[in-house]
Amino acid sequence: MAVEINTPVVFERPPHTLWGDAIIRLRRNYFAMGGLAFIILLSLAAICAPLITHYGFADQHLDQILQGPSAQHWMGTDQLGRDTFARLLYGARTSLAVGIFTQFIVIVIGLPIGAIAGYAGGRVDNYIMRFVDVMYAFPDILLIILLRSVLGGSIYMLFLAIGLVAWVNISRLVRGQLMALKSRDFVSAAKAMGGMGPYITWRHLLPNALGPIIISITFNIPRAIFTEAALSYIGIGVKPPTPSWGAMIQDGFNLIFSKPYMLLFPAIALALLMLAFTFLGDGLRDALDPKMRR
Amino acid sequence: MAPLLEVKNIRTYFHTQDGVVKAVDGVSYDVNRGETIALVGESGCGKTVSALSILRLVAEPAGKIISGEILFNGVDLLKLSDAEMHKMRGARISIIFQEPQTSLNPVLTIGRQISEGLEFHKNMSLHDGMLEATRLLKLVGIPHPERRVYEYPHQFSGGMRQRAMIAIAIACQPQLIIADEPTTVVDVTIQAQLLELIRNITKELDTALILITHNLGIVARYAKRVFVMYAGNIVEYGQALDVYHQPCHPYTAGLLASVPRLDEPRKNRLQPIEGQPPDLIAPPAGCAFQARCTYSLPQCSKEKPVLMQITPGHFAACWISQRGTKPWQK
Repeated sequence: MAVEINTPVVFERPPHTLWGDAIIRLRRNYFAMGGLAFIILLSLAAICAPLITHYGFADQHLDQILQGPSAQHWMGTDQLGRDTFARLLYGARTSLAVGIFTQFIVIVIGLPIGAIAGYAGGRVDNYIMRFVDVMYAFPDILLIILLRSVLGGSIYMLFLAIGLVAWVNISRLVRGQLMALKSRDFVSAAKAMGGMGPYITWRHLLPNALGPIIISITFNIPRAIFTEAALSYIGIGVKPPTPSWGAMIQDGFNLIFSKPYMLLFPAIALALLMLAFTFLGDGLRDALDPKMRR
Repeated sequence: MAPLLEVKNIRTYFHTQDGVVKAVDGVSYDVNRGETIALVGESGCGKTVSALSILRLVAEPAGKIISGEILFNGVDLLKLSDAEMHKMRGARISIIFQEPQTSLNPVLTIGRQISEGLEFHKNMSLHDGMLEATRLLKLVGIPHPERRVYEYPHQFSGGMRQRAMIAIAIACQPQLIIADEPTTVVDVTIQAQLLELIRNITKELDTALILITHNLGIVARYAKRVFVMYAGNIVEYGQALDVYHQPCHPYTAGLLASVPRLDEPRKNRLQPIEGQPPDLIAPPAGCAFQARCTYSLPQCSKEKPVLMQITPGHFAACWISQRGTKPWQK
């Protein structure tokens, strides 16, 4: 074989990154795109709520309490005569924000902690994971109540409080994944090429663990929304009259037998949102697996 | 001129539940610049561990290099700091692993994995690295490299993955390449192609090569000198042709007799080496091969033989050949 050097090379197509490839594959997945479309539409509707309905979320129509769906109130009214459709739209702001922003906090805290524990192993891993175990064993709601009293009552502090409780799951997951991955041959191969720990963790290990991480995060979003609902129920979530889907479900639950539609609409909305996130998460996991490339 | 690499009396032990496994127990060899040597032996005799020891990639904390010196260009690799060792790996010494299916990262493109070393050691950008990766893929004989460079490992066949591994190993033009059974997982026709490729490239780049293999058949063709390992020790070494034609250790003779040969009549049966290699946790007192040796003397089970020169440049650790006899020679 002749060894040729300095042959000009022409690129046929632009370099593909892992994410570039993933987006191409994601576009072909109709369920995932449907989920994404629903989430985007809902976000837009939540942002543009005043343009869609002329009712405010706190407007009380005391002559029209607990009404069923009608031309005037599309989804009826609650026990204070507030329009359910308007509250659902404004409530989407709270619920989406709680669901998504807490995940940022979860990733920022949980991912690096899990990654360090998983890659370093040994004593470092032992110390970190024992701390995580303590966090994990502590009752969530109790810790949030504690954090709420320390951090104050604003909605941003609510994100922070839920995030500070929820990160342990991700760090345990990441650590477990990395422990399994780091004994793979390609890690020794990368080391043999002069790769150092942080580089190998970031470039070789985490991309291989992305699938489970994304799945876990998409399932964490509805969980965060529910946590907010529970907090609203005991009065330390968002402050009334600010609506949230969780709080609306709790309200509806009290009147489940006499006025079922009060529970029905927010419950359907939350179910659809969860489904949308699940489809998107499933699609992302598949898209990030290069073996799905066609 | 001093050799490029001098491995002096290294011992690499693994601490396991059952005791200390002496995987490599006092092994010495040397590689000159641009020279190809072969480390030969059956599975579990310490070939791979002795090679991984050079790069200090023995799995810690179980495995540990207990003693010895590994001089590379006169510098003891075992005394380097971790940071200095990182600069050595890939840039000056690189390794081709046995199994290309698992040694390539499934979520990174082949090009990225080739350009990795260039980014570490030559400060190349990803773009330049990918261009260089394309050139390297072409060099190792992969068709349409400009397209292949963006593909993932699962889109490559076994032989092509091993070619990609070779491209990774030569990317930074190291002075020494360790090829750890590079052809075990591919079929015979591809084996020959890959070995020719490795030989041509090492010749072209003037790179030294340590070829680790259990196949004595390929050794005579590709390596200049051969080191035969058994139970964590080197039992024989010398010029490849001498070892091949006049083995001075019954183990080497046994390995040769167990390789199928086309130039012998078919009715000659293959001669397997009976028995198993000894337990490396508690190796026998005398010669490690004694239990499997048909020619063993009373002395063999009592005293461990050391390497002695039998003919000029040809050493063996065997009491029998050191007496000047070779009963295994037909």
